[in-house]
Amino acid sequence: MHQIKLCQQTFYLHPFHAIYWEEQQMLLLADLHLGKAAHFRKGGFPVPATAGDSNWDRLQTLLFDIKPARVLFLGDLFHSEYNPVWEELGDLIQQFKEISFELVPGNHDILEDPYYQAAGLYLHPLTLEIPPFYLTHHPQDEIPEGLYNLCGHIHPSVKLRGGARQSLRLPCFYFGEQQGILPAFGAFTGTANIAVRAGDRVFVIASNEVVEVS
Amino acid sequence: MEGHHGMLNAPTGSGKTYALLIPILLQFIQENPEDYTEKTGNGLQAIWITPIRALAKEIQSAAQRAIEGLGLSWEVAIRSGDTSSSERAKQKRKPPEILVTTPESLHLLLASKGYPKYFKHLKSVIIDEWHELMGSKRGVQMELALSRLKVICPGLRVWGISATIGNLDEALHALLGNSYETGHYKLIQSSIHKKIEVRSILPDEVEQLPWAGHLGIKLLEKIVPIVQQSRSTLIFTNTRAQCEIWYQQLLEAAPDLAGIMAMHHGSIARDLRDWVENALHEEVLKAVVCTSSLDLGVDFRPVETIIQIGSPKGVSRFIQRAGRSGHQPGALSRIYFVPTHALELLEAAALRQAIDEQQLESRVPFIRSFDVLVQYLITLAVSDGFREQEIYEEVRSTFCYNSISRKEWKWLLAFITDGGSSLSAYDEYKKVERAGDFYQVTSRRIATRHRLQMGTIVSESNLTVKYVSGGRIGTIEEWFIAQLKPGDTFWFAGRSLELVRMKGMMVQVRKSKKKTGKIPSWQGGRMPLSSNLTHYLRLKMRELRNGTGEEIELKALEPIAELQRNRSHIPGDDEFLIEYFKSREGYHLVFYPFEGRFVHEGLGSLFAYRISQLTPISFSIAMNDYGFELLSDVEIPIEAALEQDLFSTQHLYRDIQASINEAELAKRRFRDIASIAGLIFKGFPGKEKKDRHLQSSSQLFFEVFTDYEPDNLLLQQAHEEVMIFQLEEIRMREALGRIQQQKVRLSYPSKATPFSFPIIVDRLRGRLTSEKLEDRIKKMKLQLVR
Repeated sequence: MHQIKLCQQTFYLHPFHAIYWEEQQMLLLADLHLGKAAHFRKGGFPVPATAGDSNWDRLQTLLFDIKPARVLFLGDLFHSEYNPVWEELGDLIQQFKEISFELVPGNHDILEDPYYQAAGLYLHPLTLEIPPFYLTHHPQDEIPEGLYNLCGHIHPSVKLRGGARQSLRLPCFYFGEQQGILPAFGAFTGTANIAVRAGDRVFVIASNEVVEVS
Repeated sequence: MEGHHGMLNAPTGSGKTYALLIPILLQFIQENPEDYTEKTGNGLQAIWITPIRALAKEIQSAAQRAIEGLGLSWEVAIRSGDTSSSERAKQKRKPPEILVTTPESLHLLLASKGYPKYFKHLKSVIIDEWHELMGSKRGVQMELALSRLKVICPGLRVWGISATIGNLDEALHALLGNSYETGHYKLIQSSIHKKIEVRSILPDEVEQLPWAGHLGIKLLEKIVPIVQQSRSTLIFTNTRAQCEIWYQQLLEAAPDLAGIMAMHHGSIARDLRDWVENALHEEVLKAVVCTSSLDLGVDFRPVETIIQIGSPKGVSRFIQRAGRSGHQPGALSRIYFVPTHALELLEAAALRQAIDEQQLESRVPFIRSFDVLVQYLITLAVSDGFREQEIYEEVRSTFCYNSISRKEWKWLLAFITDGGSSLSAYDEYKKVERAGDFYQVTSRRIATRHRLQMGTIVSESNLTVKYVSGGRIGTIEEWFIAQLKPGDTFWFAGRSLELVRMKGMMVQVRKSKKKTGKIPSWQGGRMPLSSNLTHYLRLKMRELRNGTGEEIELKALEPIAELQRNRSHIPGDDEFLIEYFKSREGYHLVFYPFEGRFVHEGLGSLFAYRISQLTPISFSIAMNDYGFELLSDVEIPIEAALEQDLFSTQHLYRDIQASINEAELAKRRFRDIASIAGLIFKGFPGKEKKDRHLQSSSQLFFEVFTDYEPDNLLLQQAHEEVMIFQLEEIRMREALGRIQQQKVRLSYPSKATPFSFPIIVDRLRGRLTSEKLEDRIKKMKLQLVR
């Protein structure tokens, strides 16, 4: 894990594509897209049924190792309409009764409210303020005075260039002047290159390490 | 044609269309001697398959002339992607006697309910330009359709028409499948031989020719008078971007061509292309700048002059293009060759000798294309459903799937019904349903989606360019438009256009008066030099080395040869040249096998892999048809690698496998496979929001199959295609065998040589590394915007 300071608060960047916020004992995860493989299969697209299994392994490992008080999902928790994979999430939440599981919904979170209640998940509105942070799924254009936006949605990656015309593309944590973007947690979700400006901080995820690049 | 299958091989303009049409009509007259003139509504008698829609009209009018000439009352109709749904419905109610169509549209007919009834009276299928179809997966589609038609229409005759290629017998075998083995077929070959003259356009000073590049614009002033003095000219370019640039530059150099010169390439809207083709035919146009998009339909539109910009990469293609001039029997066909960089002159000389010796390339038919088979099985499941044993026999009767095993077949059936491995109890996979040995699609939604996505031509995710006032201009790739802002000007289809706005998948533009603007390019494979040509290229290299070449091109190259000798070396027959030097970019190691870019891509990855086993190192790999470069940021232990037998054919397959997994060639191949097999959802017209939740990329599928389902046949197909078409393992083995016989000549030039320069400036690169990811990151920098 890689420790950073953001607005005088302490965060740990985890190579499993997660952030732990020490002062709040809060684990932040974005874009899990649970149930995506099952959704594709139901639609007639033969994604291997096991394609999303690693999500559960990584999530459980994080919960056991870090033991957060709260888990906040920054949107796109579930990929689409209901399928039985939703019950697996409910089972996991049951297993960690001492942890509060909460969701700031994203564009993919289209289930009706009762599903969230049944799973034991607390549903926030589209934005959540925990000063000095403004937590959302979509990167916000207008951020309230004095707050820093933490969000997902983008599935960010960056391109690195080296000598002899070498290049690498890796998923990353991105922290701009007013906005930080989490990497997508979900397996089988892909990434998109983001534009980085001088002064931004970028941490790439290289197999099992988080490395700051500049 | 009586009772036989067969193939007709004849040069252009020899009336082969009639040669196959007339017997079909005569047979009908024989069978209906009394009333053949009046009989209408006879049901579908013959299908004429043409690879391009533009040709369909010509076939239709030829057929109509023949029908009128013989006094029949037959109807001829066209069915293609452009045919309106009302016209299609009419064809369904009352089938024409002759249907002119494409392989895709034929498959769509197989996807409609009750298709066997539609084909009930069918007696003949003619496949035009089979040599073109055979080299693509559309050929496989054709083989599959024929396997079905032969069973539902007993007595069906299948005839192909093919230009001369190196493997006519194999072409016939691929067309006929197991009917070939019965020996009941005919191959009719004409012996007409065309004379071709190749004339290279040379600059006054050969030094004016760049060492690298692919545009050839430097020779523009020599081209203008040729175009002006000729009644009609076709200017062939190798890429769409090059086509755009040449068009624009020609207009600038000779403004009098405005209005009588046009452009033709695959991204220009169909109507505009049709207009160009007709205008050319009617001699309204004086010149057309085009790409291989005008290669087909050779018969119909003769012109006076042919100019080829840059290497055509193959003997057959060059001959075919040349053949479009001098159309009268016995006339001389002349083709002007415009080199885009100095070494291409060597190719001109090689081409000339290859033409003299009639060394035409073979077209390699696809085998075991599981993607096309998956699509076909779903097609049959969508229409009337199928019994698996019956279709298994038919599929095995084709050339493509002759070797398919029962186990593979079972896998495919499971794949379309259960979506591969379904271990979970609550799995809801749904596509094809099975009842005993009967397979069927019952969901209307799945059926509609399948019909919309059928076909084997995979296009980039393209945006449509349209005028604000309406009118399609063509298609452009997303990444190009992404660089532009509204108000920016760009050139496309020979017009200066201002970007107004983006609207979904549409780019709206208006005409602009600005002279400058970006010119789009399109991604797409570069053609490798054929093995026939590489053979002659090595011959010409020897002549260049020995100074024995008599040809004007070789003489012109002498100053460059001299420089290459001074800085490094020109290899002889018994030598293998390697150059090693350092520049600002890093350490360059350049090898020269002269085997064509595909083989070099394979050898490049292989050598990079073997060297990377000696020490942790990362390479970027570039190649052209002459050689390839391994570029590294650290010193390359080439001497050590040579001692360790870098060129060994031992463990070749294993090493290739290891190197291509890293070089990601298979991933590129998988893109088409995933699309053809229907894994990629392109969305419906008028799409719902929820559809977006089914969108993914072939890359994601490639990764999940590799991780979770490595036995997946589509994934294996990607690897097989890499071995057959890309790496050409057989050619690699031969090349390594040849290199092993040669003496290695390791040269240390102080800087880039004329041979290495075109390779090292190439930006299109492969990669291979044996360094740890964390170590590589430490040496790299982020790319910043502004």
